[in-house]
Parts: sequence; structure tokens; C-alpha cells
Amino acid sequence: MSRQELIGPQGLRQDGRRANELRKIKCKPSVLSQADGSSYIEQGNTKCLAAVYGPREARQKGQVIHNKASINVELSLAPFSMSERKKRTKYDKRLLEIASAVKQTFEPVIMTSLFARSQIDIYLQILQFDGGIIQICINAATLALIDAGIPMLEYVCACSAGIIENTILLDLNNTEESFDTPELTVALLPKSEKVTLLQLDSRLQVNEFENVMRTAAKGCKEIYEVLEDATRDHIKDLLNRSNPIN
Amino acid sequence: MAEEVPLSFEAETFRKIQPQEYLRRFTQKDIRPDGRELKQFRQTTINLGCITTTDGSSMVRIGNTTVICGIKAEVSVPNPNFPQKGYLVPNVDLAPMCSPKFKPGPPSEQAQVLNLDTLCIHEGFAVWVLYADLVCVNYDGNVFDACVIGLITALSNVKLPEATFVEEDGLVNATEERSIPLNISRLPYPATFAMFDGQYLLVDPTELEESIANELITIICDESENICAVWKVGGVFCNSEYLKKCISIARERYAEISAIIEEARRKEF
Repeated sequence: MSRQELIGPQGLRQDGRRANELRKIKCKPSVLSQADGSSYIEQGNTKCLAAVYGPREARQKGQVIHNKASINVELSLAPFSMSERKKRTKYDKRLLEIASAVKQTFEPVIMTSLFARSQIDIYLQILQFDGGIIQICINAATLALIDAGIPMLEYVCACSAGIIENTILLDLNNTEESFDTPELTVALLPKSEKVTLLQLDSRLQVNEFENVMRTAAKGCKEIYEVLEDATRDHIKDLLNRSNPIN
Repeated sequence: MAEEVPLSFEAETFRKIQPQEYLRRFTQKDIRPDGRELKQFRQTTINLGCITTTDGSSMVRIGNTTVICGIKAEVSVPNPNFPQKGYLVPNVDLAPMCSPKFKPGPPSEQAQVLNLDTLCIHEGFAVWVLYADLVCVNYDGNVFDACVIGLITALSNVKLPEATFVEEDGLVNATEERSIPLNISRLPYPATFAMFDGQYLLVDPTELEESIANELITIICDESENICAVWKVGGVFCNSEYLKKCISIARERYAEISAIIEEARRKEF
């Protein structure tokens, strides 16, 4: 398959989207009863489940920080999530790398100084994989943290973008990622427009960088709308159920 | 002399510090903390074909306990002692996300022990290996039931491609589309019970009930009213009378589950 087939003659991608269109997002907070906060997100064919426990007592004394909460992120990929079954242990380098990126993304955003000596655990489970793993992890974690009631400065929304033959593509799926198109993942605080994560794989021309980043940032803002709607709907639902006479 | 103030707790606090007494208050009135009768199962929902990267998948919810099962098929050489048989490799993953009780780390004993029920699968020469991965995402008691139901429904959802074995190359060619459903000869479904206080038989225990029960009994029966398996761990309170009760409840449960699965299958189309 050549590069050109990624964008057809009418400017449509393989899955029928336009270049600057996001995949369809379905998200729902508060799906698990045992966790303090949880969420489920689908972006196209990638499905992710997030659970947040905390703040709770730190598991290992070594991890205790005297004036802040420590954040622990664990990412696991279900063996059936990829097209080839592969059992990945939790200590797979790639998963550890992504988990560490998610942790560093949230560290400045969560108000950890309010919970000294405690631990906030974020568990992410990928049920189906079709590209965009970092972005979906961050979006799922944001929703779950909000559902857990952990104070944060703002939502953190992430989106990926790439460039092929001078066309900027938003939200790459697995086939598009597997070509060596440069893929830029951006995690943004939508209101203050601050960037907490920026990751680029493969080479990208310097003068194209700004455009790709701007497109990804726009994608982040669109995702923010969806996440915020989902959270508000959920709270409205809760309020309606607890106050039936209204 | 200090005045004696009687201690009174809110229900939640009482539940945490004295779970047995808490549960006893309910069972003495023939009811359970979540409002069910002693013989009532929680609401069960089943969703088929939810994960498209697998060859067959299902998601089972019993109350809050949620288990997702995904099956992938690969080709492998058969065991020389059983040249006609393929393999079914189950694997249970109790992730730390499912409950605060599970710490991250190597899989515990609960995860290793998954009873394989008798399923007859007809397979070719180079045999199919079905890897069944069960991921528990929410643990609220009775994971075993959810896992078994998840496994069986996912297996019924599996569609394998047509495969032909080319002798000269020693390769197997398979078509792109998945068309052949698995030939499953028996459909076993489980029912789990917990024995509390030596006298109360609680059906489909929640996490609270499971942790303070004297013993757990699981009965698995199939459509021809045969019992496939009985699994009872520990405890000395259950006698044959209770077992008979369990078996008759398990049979009723069988009909319940079959109806729910039929519903789910209809919804899939």
C-alpha cells in the first residue's frame, strides 16, 4: 500500500474521514462501582477503560513524598486488543514509557499538595487498539480523575496529528500510524492553552511543525467539548436522581 | 462519673467494622443488604461481539461484577497423544483496577485456578489454539460465575476462517473471512452460593458476603440436566440437604441464563 492511498482522490481517508476530522468519540464516566472514579472512552475503534483509586495510603514507604501525593499510573493492554494476540506483561518497556508519560502529564495538573503522603493510582486498561494510545489514555484518565473528585487545575485533553504529502491529518488510527508518517501527540489544558505533553515520533520539517501543532491543539479543544458534555450530563443525571421532586 | 452515651453508628460505619453482625441483621429477616431475597440472583446482562479485534468476545455483568472475555484463534501443532484435539487456553486477569483489594503484581491464586468445563471442539489436523483472555474490570463478588458465562458466550460468538492444511509446505492456508462458528456440544452454566452463619444459603454473593462467608459452593450444570462440575472449598457447614437445594436452584438459574443469552443474541443481529 502506497502512501498516497492514505488519502484518496476526494480527500477522504481510509475510514472515510476528512483530513481534519476526529474519530467518533463515545465516553461515559463512572462505569465501575469499586473504583473511586472511573471512565470508559471509545475513539473510533480504540477502547479504553480507566479506574482511579485515591487519594489513599501509599503502598510503599519509599514512594511517600512528605508534602505531596504521589501519582502511580499503570497501563495494561488486554491480550486480545491487537490484531495479533500478544500477552504483554506490565513491565513491557513500551507500556511503561506511555504510563510514565501519562504520569508526568498529570503531575502539574492534579493539586497534589493537598494530599501529602498519599497515593493516587490511575489504572488504564486498553480493550481494543486502533492507534492513538497515549491520547486515549490521557482523555480516559482525565474523566476518571474528575469522577473521583480529585481536584485538578483543568481538564487535560490530548490529540494526535500527522502530516502526509503536505496534508495535515488529525487523529491517526493504527494503519496511518504504522507508516512512518510523523505523529505528534499534544496534551493541552484547553482554557489556559498550556501544553503538558508534546511527543513527536519520526521526522517532521521545522516549518510544518507549527501547523501540525495548531491542528492538534484544535483537535484537543474539540475533544474537550465532548468530555465536558459527558461529565455535565452525568452530574445532571445524578442530581435528577437524588432530587426527584424538581 | 462519666455519663454513658450509647454508641450508635451509621449503617456504612457499622458495615465496615462489624460486617458479620451487619449481614446477620439482614439474613435474620430473610433479606440481603442490597434488597435481594436469599435465593435471588443479581441482574445479569450479556453483550456479544463487543471487541472487534478478537475472533469472539463477550462482556458479562452480574450486578456490578464485570468481566470481559476475548478469544483469539491461532494455529498450532497438536499434542501427539491427542491428535484430533485442539487447545483451549484460558487466562484470567484480575487487574488492580477491579477492586481495592488486589494489589498490582503477579496473578494471585484466584486467577490461576479456572476450571475448564467440558467442551467438545472439532478441529482439523493442524489444530486451532483458542486463547481465551478474561479480564475482570470490576470485582463485586462472584467473579467465577461471570468468567464462566463470559467464556461460554464468547466461544459461541467465535467465528473461525476456513483452514486447509497444505501437506507439502506444512502450512495452513486460511481464508480472510471468518465464517465457521464453533461446534459446541454442551453449554454449561454456573451458579455460585455462599454459606453464612452455618444456616443461611446466599445465592450469588456480593463481595461483602463472599469475604465473610463460611464456604463457597459452585455448581455447573448443562442443558440435559446433568451436573458438569461441583466446586466446594473449605468449610464444614454444608450438608447434603443444602447441596440438594443448591442443585435445584442451579437448574432454575440455567433456564434464566439461557433466556438472557438468547436475548443478547437477538440484539446482536
